[in-house]
Amino acid sequence: MLRFLGKRLWEGMVTLAALVVATFFFMRLAPGGPFSKNRKVSADVLEHIKASFHLDEPVWMQFGRYVWGLMHLDFGPSLRFRDYSVGDLIAAGLPYSLTIGFWAIVIAALVGVALGVIGALRRNGAADYLAGTVGVIGIAVPIFVIGPLAQVVFALKLAWVPVGGSDQGWRSLVLPVVVLSLPNIAYISRLTRSSMIEVMRENYVRTARSKGIGGRRVLVGHVLKGALLPVIAYLGPATAGIITGSILIETIFAVPGIGRHFVDAALNRDYPLVMGITLLYGGLLILFNIATDLVRGWLDPKVRGHG
Amino acid sequence: MGRRSGVLWGLLASVLVLLLGMAAPVWADDTLDRGVGSEWSSLDPHVNFDAAAAWIQMDAYEGLINFDEIGQIIPGAAEKWEASPDGLTYTFHLRDGLKWSNGDKLVAQDFVNGILRTLNPDTGSEKGYYFYSTVQIKGAKDLAEGKVKDPASLGVSAPDDRTVVIQLLTPAPHMLQLMGGYHVPPLHKPSFDKYGAAVFIDPAHLVTNGAYIIKEVVPQSHVLMEKNPNYWDAANVKIPFVKYHVTEDVATELKRYQAGEIDITYDIPLNQIEDLKAATPAEVQIAPSTEITYFSFNLTHEAFKNIDLRRALSLAIDRETLEGKIVKGEAIPTFSFGGGFTPDYKGPQIAEATMTQGEREALAKDLYAKAGYGPDNPLKITVVATISEDAKRRAQGVALMWKKVLGVETDVQPMERKAWLDAFYAGTWDVFSDDLVGDFAGPETFLAYMRPSSEPGYNWVKPEYDAAMDEAAKLSDLPSRYVALAKAEKILLDDYIFAPISIVPGRHLVKPSVHGWGDSAAGYNNSQFLSLE
Repeated sequence: MLRFLGKRLWEGMVTLAALVVATFFFMRLAPGGPFSKNRKVSADVLEHIKASFHLDEPVWMQFGRYVWGLMHLDFGPSLRFRDYSVGDLIAAGLPYSLTIGFWAIVIAALVGVALGVIGALRRNGAADYLAGTVGVIGIAVPIFVIGPLAQVVFALKLAWVPVGGSDQGWRSLVLPVVVLSLPNIAYISRLTRSSMIEVMRENYVRTARSKGIGGRRVLVGHVLKGALLPVIAYLGPATAGIITGSILIETIFAVPGIGRHFVDAALNRDYPLVMGITLLYGGLLILFNIATDLVRGWLDPKVRGHG
Repeated sequence: MGRRSGVLWGLLASVLVLLLGMAAPVWADDTLDRGVGSEWSSLDPHVNFDAAAAWIQMDAYEGLINFDEIGQIIPGAAEKWEASPDGLTYTFHLRDGLKWSNGDKLVAQDFVNGILRTLNPDTGSEKGYYFYSTVQIKGAKDLAEGKVKDPASLGVSAPDDRTVVIQLLTPAPHMLQLMGGYHVPPLHKPSFDKYGAAVFIDPAHLVTNGAYIIKEVVPQSHVLMEKNPNYWDAANVKIPFVKYHVTEDVATELKRYQAGEIDITYDIPLNQIEDLKAATPAEVQIAPSTEITYFSFNLTHEAFKNIDLRRALSLAIDRETLEGKIVKGEAIPTFSFGGGFTPDYKGPQIAEATMTQGEREALAKDLYAKAGYGPDNPLKITVVATISEDAKRRAQGVALMWKKVLGVETDVQPMERKAWLDAFYAGTWDVFSDDLVGDFAGPETFLAYMRPSSEPGYNWVKPEYDAAMDEAAKLSDLPSRYVALAKAEKILLDDYIFAPISIVPGRHLVKPSVHGWGDSAAGYNNSQFLSLE
């Protein structure tokens, strides 16, 4: 088990290192730079500003400087948000993204699995069709349609919750959390349903039933345990994606999370911020994949042996 | 329905009940909520370069002068000032008893220190050019470029605690426009020396001299400001709190406004302007700003060396239809480059301006044929524009008109802003969908920018223009300077190196409960002049 963990962590480090190298150099291929903003500034002054961020040095030297900083856990200054370092910006935004992402994942997992189980148990019943319809809508209708619609209905017409922002405590969380969880509810319920149906046909389930074990115990102890494997495999990477923030959710609901930095930092050529965000997302993705494998190994003896 | 699924439905139902049970929001009405668009680059007053953050800055810092609700110059920290007869020396007299927000005495040297810090290369500010280019303060350029380090070499001094003297190299009657809180915020040296630039986002230690102090800064979210009791005119500041919200998405900003979360928006979605004007005309505030759009021709390309072709392309654009029916952003069509920002400047006579569109198009066709193009030999060009909604619509509209009137085949290439800026100097365009934001509401900021000596990117060689601008720069009284500037503008416009298109407006929604809002071309709408009902 420890060897498995050590090996996966080592592989993760190598992947991250490759990510740092690729992002650093590819990013600089894009035309424009962080300070090509104002055409009126004297060239000498602009050069001096660039020099103060070491952007005048050869790229390999900038890379060395960046890696050296990383070793000291320094992600560098943000070039667009001049008052903050990349570390500051992530520390300020991540709690918002984490809170919304956490609740969205919890709701998605609970409601998604519930809908999936109902669908599988009452196949072709009214509940199954309802769950199926919700699933198709959740997958097919994009967030940028559902989000504004939810704002109009629940914030403008009914005035139950604010349109956006983050200054009304938990009330500000309701719309972004619900809208972010919808597509995930859809995926998870579809996954659970099909996986449940498959597992219910397995020999070990039939054996358990024939041994006279009660329907409920078979369902929870045998069917669900087996059926949740693909759901957990999906949840790992999905969680990394959701808790690092969704650009659409954060833009539509004016949430001060870090999701917006993914796109804006690249558009602004804020090189250190792009690096910081990419590293954070990459690191979390690797960690959650490892965690997923550990949970699957715990649930499924077949996975454990092949670590 | 079985017991298990009953439990699950119960869960769903309880979530719904939770949602339904929430009360309507309660709003504190002692707070003015303002949208600022995307997040400010910096709250460091000597570095900040954003129009949106300029609002925050104008509330927090007061310059030597101030701007009233319609953008006119009024006394600020200085109660009076005078210029020497040659227009080269300005003397500002500060009010008696001025204080910083922490109670410290505010002295003339604080203003000198502010300008010195803006120019200091170590500050990394792009704003120094106001002092070495927009107006030319003695010694400013050498300090900004790091060639000279001695602060005494700067032509800004404080002979005593209540006097600031500024020496210019050339007369600049627009000087006062650059003496507000956005351009010359003073520096509170004790707090800056102790905490460095981090102090500007640290409400616990930040000291300001404007009508408001900064209480809270949350990146990507908001800046909360509270009335400054030590401001000299605090008795006339009516709103206790001002909250500036980051409103990145213009559609969300509109909904937040409609829900009552925002009192003054940063912008209005283009496709909603008509509906809003019909439904709530009094809340839609649209007025000219200091931004002009124009289409520049690449003078290094053989085809555009022909002035007839350049003029034909300019004439073929139906500006009224373009802005009114295609872009729909309420921009004001224009044929001039320096006019329309202040009523005092009349500008030169422009032949195009008095023609009908039919006459313009007929002339365009003649000139196009004269330049050697026609149905069998159409001009094929590229237009580089940004991906912003109005810039894309504008470029595509122009391409359509060129096609319809002249048969020109135009390829519009929208690109993100940074790439667009780079493309300008790379010269990889035939026509550049350009825009320019002036430093103040007057013709000179636009005309000076076009001097071949100041912007080589247009590859325009015209010693007469530089000479005419130099001539104007010698004059220290505004009326005669405007006459000279109009002569220079005539030289500029007669060369058709670009087609002026429109003056972009400021677009805001302002709640009826907000009083005191006025149209300010330079975009100064200080909260201190507003009140809430």
